[in-house]
Amino acid sequence: MSLRKKEERRFILVFLAPAFLLFTGLVFLPAIRALLYSLQKWDGLGTPEWVGLRNFARLLRDDDIFLVALGHNLILFAIAGGCTIALALFFASILSQKIRGASIFRVAFFFPNVIALVAVALLWILLYSTTNFGVINAMLAQVQGAAAAAGLPFPEIDLPFPFLQSRYLISSIIPMIVWSATGFYMVLFLAAIGGIPQSYYEAARLEGASHFQQFIHITLPLLREILVVAAVFMIITLMKFFDPIWVMENEVPNRDSHVLATLLYQKVFTEYDMGYASAVAVLLFLIVLAASAFSLTWSRKERIEY
Amino acid sequence: MDKVRTILAYTVLIGWLLAVVLPMVWVLVNSLRSSKEFVQNPFGMPWLVTGVPADGLLELSEIEAARARASAGEDAGLALERLDQLARDFAKLDSENNGALEAGVVYGDPAETLSGEEVAAVERAAGRSLAISAAISNYRKAWVESNFSRFFFNSLWVTGWSLFGTLALASMAAYVLARFEFRGNRWLFLFFISGMMIPAQLLLIPVFFEFSWLSDVGTRFLEPFGLRFQLYDSHFGLILLYIALSLPFTILVLSGFFKSLPGALREAAIMDGCGEYRTFWHVMLPLAKPGLITAAIFNFLGIWNEYIFALVFVNTPEKKTLPLGLASVSIQAQYKTDFGLMFAGLVIVVVPTLLVYVLLQRQLTQGITTGAIKG
Repeated sequence: MSLRKKEERRFILVFLAPAFLLFTGLVFLPAIRALLYSLQKWDGLGTPEWVGLRNFARLLRDDDIFLVALGHNLILFAIAGGCTIALALFFASILSQKIRGASIFRVAFFFPNVIALVAVALLWILLYSTTNFGVINAMLAQVQGAAAAAGLPFPEIDLPFPFLQSRYLISSIIPMIVWSATGFYMVLFLAAIGGIPQSYYEAARLEGASHFQQFIHITLPLLREILVVAAVFMIITLMKFFDPIWVMENEVPNRDSHVLATLLYQKVFTEYDMGYASAVAVLLFLIVLAASAFSLTWSRKERIEY
Repeated sequence: MDKVRTILAYTVLIGWLLAVVLPMVWVLVNSLRSSKEFVQNPFGMPWLVTGVPADGLLELSEIEAARARASAGEDAGLALERLDQLARDFAKLDSENNGALEAGVVYGDPAETLSGEEVAAVERAAGRSLAISAAISNYRKAWVESNFSRFFFNSLWVTGWSLFGTLALASMAAYVLARFEFRGNRWLFLFFISGMMIPAQLLLIPVFFEFSWLSDVGTRFLEPFGLRFQLYDSHFGLILLYIALSLPFTILVLSGFFKSLPGALREAAIMDGCGEYRTFWHVMLPLAKPGLITAAIFNFLGIWNEYIFALVFVNTPEKKTLPLGLASVSIQAQYKTDFGLMFAGLVIVVVPTLLVYVLLQRQLTQGITTGAIKG
């Protein structure tokens, strides 16, 4: 072992240690701890008691609130996530065509993504309000009036519609998510479309393919991988979804409006049921893990090289 | 055909542009209007623009002073009976609000309360512009009375130190992982990256108890020196947590940058007699600057807007960060129908992120782009 090697080894140790210690102490070990908590019955004060998988049995069998909350997460993922990705793809395909002002649209569309979700939620509380300043209800009333005057069919709903009531909250949050997240995914897709060689499109144009055909046969297949990345990212974000529900429900969500994260929070800080809450967290982790693993293997298999 | 397509494309794009931008403009405009103006007409322009006052923001003391001058026969800008009426309006309103008026707001239909000339007279008497005070009072209420100044500096403090710590620790670790050969290197890298898979909720409970345990142990050691060691409900604990949570992503980004630097650089610097530390500091870090900036922007946005960890690990109102403060103040403001305060609070929270975004949007987009192409 030369002196130089010794010095190098010490340098490696010194540079890795702080990050390693902090990450191990505050992320890795607590994650292991959470797995242990999920196998225990504990109120946070007394001595924990081993119960094996009973917490998981409880949350899957005893009451269905866990499944209801999980269902809400999945609804958000399917509808809000689906709409966001579809819209982002649509905007990205338009903006990649070198139209005038593309950069202005790109910058503006991304902007809602940088606003704190808490602030977004408060903004939408105002937009959804049932009083005279509820912008969305006012617009609906206008549309309803115009439709009635023109004799066009319009769903018979009583306005103002109580968007912020617990039982409609999950549906009401969908447009909010689309509003705030679309810009991010659009930038992601724009980058990927920018990486597709222009010659492909030129060849397709020579063959007489329409814009739509080009999109279906060139853009979409080549974007498969990034679409999978986007879907995984969406699952990770929407499984953790917490802030807007918490703020809109004034810190007391109920059966109608719970998602996994709010349920977990309530179990810990109002019911002191650490085991149940940890079991929720562990299942949440497993869902994210499974989704990512599945998508990674799937996209590897289907990889297109160009 | 192509023309139709272009028109359609622009229609959709401009529609979404309006959907994105208008709500924010709406917030900004209404943060400059009194709550009453807002409730009367949610889509009006601020009085600053129209010059039509909704409610004269007069302090009762100002009305009293003007009345004293008027009864002494001096020119007080308004007639005595008018001043009497204003004082009565004010007292009535004050009693309706349980004496909790921040500024004397003279209610009534805007057109009825004060005429244009009267406004001018009152402004002369009060020695200040009512329009300005209507706009400023929301911000004053938010910044001073609702403690937003405190929240703002808490956020700045916590975010600043978290960013500094994250970039320091992550760049050191990423540099070693990317440029040095040693056993277990690959595994260690994967170990760090695996942290990106862990949802925050999994950590809430164990870290909560870990913090209280560590605080007990730390305090026992430090007590003889008269020091208290606190991690729960302290900015220090929150900062440590934010650093730990930001490490995986930041190490991933930075190691990509360090990997892309030419290998001969380090050899050359070492040959020239720089030590490993100096090489890192003077050669490698400056070259990795784009990566550092990208990581800094993403982490800034993430930490500045973070809610759930702050909610769990901060208890004392004076220690709250901006998102927490905004949430609690807004809930109260809605009950009091003080929308002006709520809008001002929203602006205070959004403006810093907006500034960072506008100034650095190119690097931010590039960061996503390189991530997308490489990842």
